[in-house]
Amino acid sequence: MTDLVPPAEPTAPTESPVAQPEIVTEATAGRPRRPMGPLFITGAVLVGVVMAAALISFVWTPYNPIKVDAAARLQSPNAEHWLGTDKFGRDIFSQILVGARTTLYVGVIAVGLASIIGTPLGIFAGMSNRGWLTELVMRANDLLLAFPALLLAIMFGAVFGASTLTAMIAIGIATIPSFARLARSGTLQVMSTEYVLAARIAGRKPIAIAWRHVLPNVFGLLIVQGSVSFAIAVLAEAALSYLGFGTAPPTPSWGRMLQEAQEQIFTLPIILLWPALAIAVAVLGFNLLGDGLRDRFDPRLEDRR
Amino acid sequence: MDMLKYVGTRFVIFVVSIFVASVVVFGFMAVLPGDPAVVALGVNASPDAVAALRAEFGTDRPLAVQYLDWVGGLLTGDFGTSYVTRNPIGPIISDRLAVTSWLVLCAMAVALVTALPLGTLSALRHRKASGLAISFGSQIGIAIPAFVMGIALVYVFAVWLRVLPSGGWVVPIQDPGGFIQHLVLPVLSLGLVQGAILTRYVRSATLDVMREDYIRTARSKGLSGLPIVTRHILRNSSIPVVTVLGLQLTTLLIGAVVIERVFVVPGLGSLLLDSVANRDLLTVQGVVMVLVLAALIINFVVDILYTVLDPRLRSS
Amino acid sequence: MPNLRKIAASGTAAGLAVLLTACNAGAGSSPSAGAGGGSSATTAAIAFALEPENLDFTRTDGAAIPQVLLTNVYEGLVELDQDGKIVPLLAESWKVSTDRKSYTFELRKGVTFSNGSPFDASTVKFSIDRVKKDWTISLKKAMDVVDTVTVDSPTRVTVKLSRPSNDWLFKMTTRIGAMMSPDGVADLANKPVGTGPYTVARWVRGDSITLKARPGYWGTEPAMSTVVFRYFKDPTASTNALLSGGIDAIGNVAAPDSLIRFESDPTFKIIEGTSNGEVTLSMNNKSKAFGDKRVRQAVRYALDHQAILDTAWAGRGTLIGAPVPPTDPWYEDLTGLFPHDPQKARNLLAEAGKTDLTVRLRLPNVAYALSAGQVVKSQLADVGITADIDVLEFPARWLDLVFNKHDYDMSIINHVEPRDIANYANPDYYFGYDSPKVQSLMAAADEGTPEQQVADLRAAARQISEDAAADWLFLFPYLVVARANLQGLPKNGITESFDVTGLSR
Repeated sequence: MTDLVPPAEPTAPTESPVAQPEIVTEATAGRPRRPMGPLFITGAVLVGVVMAAALISFVWTPYNPIKVDAAARLQSPNAEHWLGTDKFGRDIFSQILVGARTTLYVGVIAVGLASIIGTPLGIFAGMSNRGWLTELVMRANDLLLAFPALLLAIMFGAVFGASTLTAMIAIGIATIPSFARLARSGTLQVMSTEYVLAARIAGRKPIAIAWRHVLPNVFGLLIVQGSVSFAIAVLAEAALSYLGFGTAPPTPSWGRMLQEAQEQIFTLPIILLWPALAIAVAVLGFNLLGDGLRDRFDPRLEDRR
Repeated sequence: MDMLKYVGTRFVIFVVSIFVASVVVFGFMAVLPGDPAVVALGVNASPDAVAALRAEFGTDRPLAVQYLDWVGGLLTGDFGTSYVTRNPIGPIISDRLAVTSWLVLCAMAVALVTALPLGTLSALRHRKASGLAISFGSQIGIAIPAFVMGIALVYVFAVWLRVLPSGGWVVPIQDPGGFIQHLVLPVLSLGLVQGAILTRYVRSATLDVMREDYIRTARSKGLSGLPIVTRHILRNSSIPVVTVLGLQLTTLLIGAVVIERVFVVPGLGSLLLDSVANRDLLTVQGVVMVLVLAALIINFVVDILYTVLDPRLRSS
Repeated sequence: MPNLRKIAASGTAAGLAVLLTACNAGAGSSPSAGAGGGSSATTAAIAFALEPENLDFTRTDGAAIPQVLLTNVYEGLVELDQDGKIVPLLAESWKVSTDRKSYTFELRKGVTFSNGSPFDASTVKFSIDRVKKDWTISLKKAMDVVDTVTVDSPTRVTVKLSRPSNDWLFKMTTRIGAMMSPDGVADLANKPVGTGPYTVARWVRGDSITLKARPGYWGTEPAMSTVVFRYFKDPTASTNALLSGGIDAIGNVAAPDSLIRFESDPTFKIIEGTSNGEVTLSMNNKSKAFGDKRVRQAVRYALDHQAILDTAWAGRGTLIGAPVPPTDPWYEDLTGLFPHDPQKARNLLAEAGKTDLTVRLRLPNVAYALSAGQVVKSQLADVGITADIDVLEFPARWLDLVFNKHDYDMSIINHVEPRDIANYANPDYYFGYDSPKVQSLMAAADEGTPEQQVADLRAAARQISEDAAADWLFLFPYLVVARANLQGLPKNGITESFDVTGLSR
């Protein structure tokens, strides 16, 4: 996917001191809360719309989104079908609503997988005092970086069969390095703070330190990364659907709707617009949310505003 | 000496990574369902014919033997012979890689040319409307899937205005003019989206640099405008930007496949998809290996560039 | 310092090699003969979906290879005309013995292969024997019935069959009847050598195959000196290419809804003909659900075939009630046997005790199957059958699971082989349909007189349809859209080749 490069502002993909976030740990709590920025609010509203669509779809859709109706095919937006119908006569608005579920599912799996595996690895690599073990984890991480998400998704699709789940697991795995690196660089800084030193001298177990001190302090940045990775996963699903490696029919998915509507570009181009718009709203929402959260969690930005 | 030692360590890691990658790639093929011989022979093939073809392909041998055979060939630059085209794989891959490289490198050039000025500008004016407008524009650019951009460009420039071809590929040396015409739309669809992504990195890196003391000092000494940008900001913000460029290159080599599909460009990604579908396992292995190798090389180069650009790293 | 110089030299050489590769990017590994592509009075470019994997149809299956090579590059003794009749090609005439086991062909004189070698009776013997000896694709089985091939004179050859077979001569019109030269088979995958009017001049893999008219062809010289087969994975891309002037025709339209754009435009024309492709909804007759004939029949009643055709394929195509296209001599309209009747379907399901049935609908990942599958799922839901769609990669996974391992309940695939009704007489075929009556009818049909063949196959087709061995969603249309001034396109898609020899402008 051309869209797989993290579109977020960089959170230091390599281990350079240049763009390392300076995490000031406990102090974070005491700092006066910054007001919610316009970025955050816009992002939150857009994400809220997507979530609301998904929730509503569980209790109500104007039509059964997978019910084929030959008599109603390819209608322009009208009073019965607000956004029109596709070539199967299915209601596009209903599909967009249910498609929001797929989009959230996609993001949750990919981001969940990447953070659940990547975060502990990164924290471990940051806390371990055995150099070779750290090195091994980080080099494995680098190697994983050499398998771009799309490559993994194609290969996983061939091995396990194309489905939303396979694609998302592939994208999740490819996203592990982002989380691991972020968690490690955050950990390194937390570990050098005085209160962690104090905790270590007091004989606290590493697990306890990781849980009590490290995780809470890197959490904010991980949330930012999660939000941004979410956006990437949504774009990835669209690209994979276009290539035929995405969500299997008839489950509504914005990516597949886009792919199926492509052939109607001369007959009913507007039905191409809806899923594209929905994807753009979701991606924009999660990216803006990420930026807004960064403003809150990344102390580097403090004197910028 | 530290520098040499650093490069040396990186190189050893690089070589070990390649080896591990080759095992991973081969392992993938071993678990890939679908027998190349069955796929080649199609429906109703007799078991004898399948067995004979397996023997010819060498897929009936133990996996370890197949692996050593393959890696041994790779070391001498021999990728083996394709199951379906019955041609040597090496030249096919290098030909497709050349096509994709044109696409990706030109797209990255477009991305850089748009992102460097826009990103810097939006950072310098980050409190002004124009800066915000650029930021917002880049956010929109990122939110559009590249293939949607491609479809839109084809619709406007090829179908409606009819000024550019809708797709296809022309060999550069045979018809340079046609080559450039065919390159414009795919390069734009890739480059603009990548440019939007890059703009945000440049902006953020520039903002970081602007906070540094030496810039403040330079500013307080009365330096301003262009000199400060060229002399101090660009040079220092280039460090994180190089990393991102490396990452973008890595993902684009395969990521371009979507654009290759929209514009019918015979690139590396299309070769991969076709070979997977035809179960041309040796070609799949070869393509994946080349992609991974390219990623590792780019990583290695970025690592080295880092130490060159940032003297602070050399001692650590 | 010599070392440095050496390094510099090899560096330069490597640099030059990279530059050369870059400048030749996309040239492919085949030798090139000038640039192709653009349209002119004697050049045509036509879009297709599937690119051949190689050019050797003796060892690689698939429709793409004969599509470009047969008739255009290779020729057989006989060919199928556009109405489905067997007519002479390299044989001027033939006689069938009274026991119908012996065929004597009188060969055309003065025919040469594109490598200059002459075509005569010995090459016929070579070609037929080679099918049995060296071919590996499954279609070679049609040659098993041949006992001996005798060279009577340079222009006369006699083929003896081990039993009478109506099917054999028909199969000689397909790729297995292609005549090859003994000194032209060394590299079939890359350099096909045939007696046809064209040769393969250039192949840019992933893009196009360029055919050029050759000097010394025995028949009428084709009007188009260059024909380019261009391959588009994405149907929208081919539509765009036709609209923007990059190509002259789309050889088989895979996005039928896009035709609306061309219908109203006088600079284009649409040719809609018939094909051999029965889009078949297979039901595993050996599975628990579909072992019961009533359940299969219920499925046929449950489906509204016109609605399927209208939604999945924009109404382009023909409804059929049995696995027989209208161009076959034993065609009979059986669409009335199972009219759309959901209530009858529910009753049959209740009778069979299958009121709450869940089945796996395993679809190959090809456009028509994914489209039709979604409609089938929706319609089956109306009668209480839950069909879970499972998409399989085609060909690898689909062949493996559905076709070879029979691990499926329902599937959809376009059966494109000509006269493939014989599959229903094979109980081991993936349908799992085992009817002794149908099997004996088909055996008798192949050995009997042509009249008996028609009668027997017609009876067999009716039986297959009544038993609901499968369901036939629609007959795949042969759909071509072309520039209005391009003449001589095939009007039907009933042969394995896309015949470009008659094109003109």
